[in-house]
Amino acid sequence: MNSLFYRDYKCHYSKTWYDLMCDLSNLDCFTPFCKENDYYKIFLQIICSLLLNQEITLLDGDFTDQEVEQLTKKKDIETRTQDIQLPSMEFLDKNSFLEYVFSNHSKWGISIYTSGTTGLPKKVTHSFESLTRFVKINEQNNKSVWGFAYNATHMAGLQVFFQALLNGNEIVRLFGLNKEDIFNQIEEHQISRISATPTFYRMLLPTTSTFKSIIRLTSGGEKFDQRASELLNKVFPNAKITNVYASTEIGSLFASQGDVFSLKKELADKIKFIENELFVHKSLLGKLSGQNEEQWYATGDLIEIVSKEPLKFKFLSRKNEMINVGGYKVNPHEVEEAIRTYNGILDVRVSGKKNSVLGNIVVCEVVIQKQINEMELRTYLRTRLQEFKIPRIIKFVENISSTHTGKTKRR
Amino acid sequence: MEKLLQIINNILLNKEKQPIHKLIADDSLTNTLGLDSLDLAELTVRIEAEFDIDVFEDGLVLTVGEIIKKLNLNE
Repeated sequence: MNSLFYRDYKCHYSKTWYDLMCDLSNLDCFTPFCKENDYYKIFLQIICSLLLNQEITLLDGDFTDQEVEQLTKKKDIETRTQDIQLPSMEFLDKNSFLEYVFSNHSKWGISIYTSGTTGLPKKVTHSFESLTRFVKINEQNNKSVWGFAYNATHMAGLQVFFQALLNGNEIVRLFGLNKEDIFNQIEEHQISRISATPTFYRMLLPTTSTFKSIIRLTSGGEKFDQRASELLNKVFPNAKITNVYASTEIGSLFASQGDVFSLKKELADKIKFIENELFVHKSLLGKLSGQNEEQWYATGDLIEIVSKEPLKFKFLSRKNEMINVGGYKVNPHEVEEAIRTYNGILDVRVSGKKNSVLGNIVVCEVVIQKQINEMELRTYLRTRLQEFKIPRIIKFVENISSTHTGKTKRR
Repeated sequence: MEKLLQIINNILLNKEKQPIHKLIADDSLTNTLGLDSLDLAELTVRIEAEFDIDVFEDGLVLTVGEIIKKLNLNE
């Protein structure tokens, strides 16, 4: 039971499975709205919600108060805690503990927020089944050491967490570390699997080092170019590199090697293409707040069919205006709305600017009514938006051009 | 060189950090100047707008000196 559950080099601590069971047994408070920066505390609350068979909502630790209020429609999430007392678990072995954690999840659900395609972000609630649809539990996986390279409150992070938890694996946090520390952690803990955005992998290049312990690299969230993939193969010579198509609403859906995706037989009647856009049957979705009447969900992802029998396809681009900043989706409307509330702004247009580091960054053009100080505007936006949503370049212009339909032109 | 210094200082000031007085080739963009991935992305966009060169095209650039070299600012 002294095997490791979680290591956090950034926060200088590690926890064994035994520590986890003791911490759960001693936990006196459940937070149904979990807004936390410490990954282990997030994991504890998720496991606690499973033991209580209750829904939990995860919020990014860096959400501003304004964002939390807008998303949850609640002002005082930190006071909404429940006193609890869980049974002692520290005498259980790992398998019995895991059996106990997952024994009853009939009412359990986990809610997170997605950037949404229009207007404000929306809430997505996943059941245990929809979240763990692609979790593989087998002997080959039970010795895995996971490099945790996603935000723990996002869909991709949750999928890695559940894959690792259900297999009783060790999790090593890599998210937020610099390149040198990431390499040290991989070597020191013999990490065997990493799932991350292409941006995360690009940040590891160039290097002359090689790491043989990694057997699987998974990438998702953005397009991955062939060249980066080839360079990664040199750094991780034993790794099989897989691309995954996943989203907050759906979870993981397809995997590919290279950029050509194929479809599992059991999903054949659950996806369709209309005018090259991918539609997913609602039975594969989490529960979305608001609109959930339609049988088919339009993903906004445009594809190109490579072959019909067997069906193979490539992802081309997105139909909507979301800006992908290193795997984080930014809704330009949300950013524009925040900027418009600043005194002295007449009009604003937010768009993405392509670059080879993060794929895109958020930039904007503003029309001002009176002289404003850029620094003060930035300070204000920090109280309204997460850092990656704040425009990196703010250009002051005379006017903003519109398309013939009167919509603001973004590109 | 002056232009590059100005670009880097612009990014530092927007982060409410102290500007630097001169460019030192060995300075690490992340460890010495404290730039994160968002800052590096902004840096590459601003440099490309000014010099028409994508300095990060072949992978991550680690030091100020590597940028100077890619932009041929030594000549």
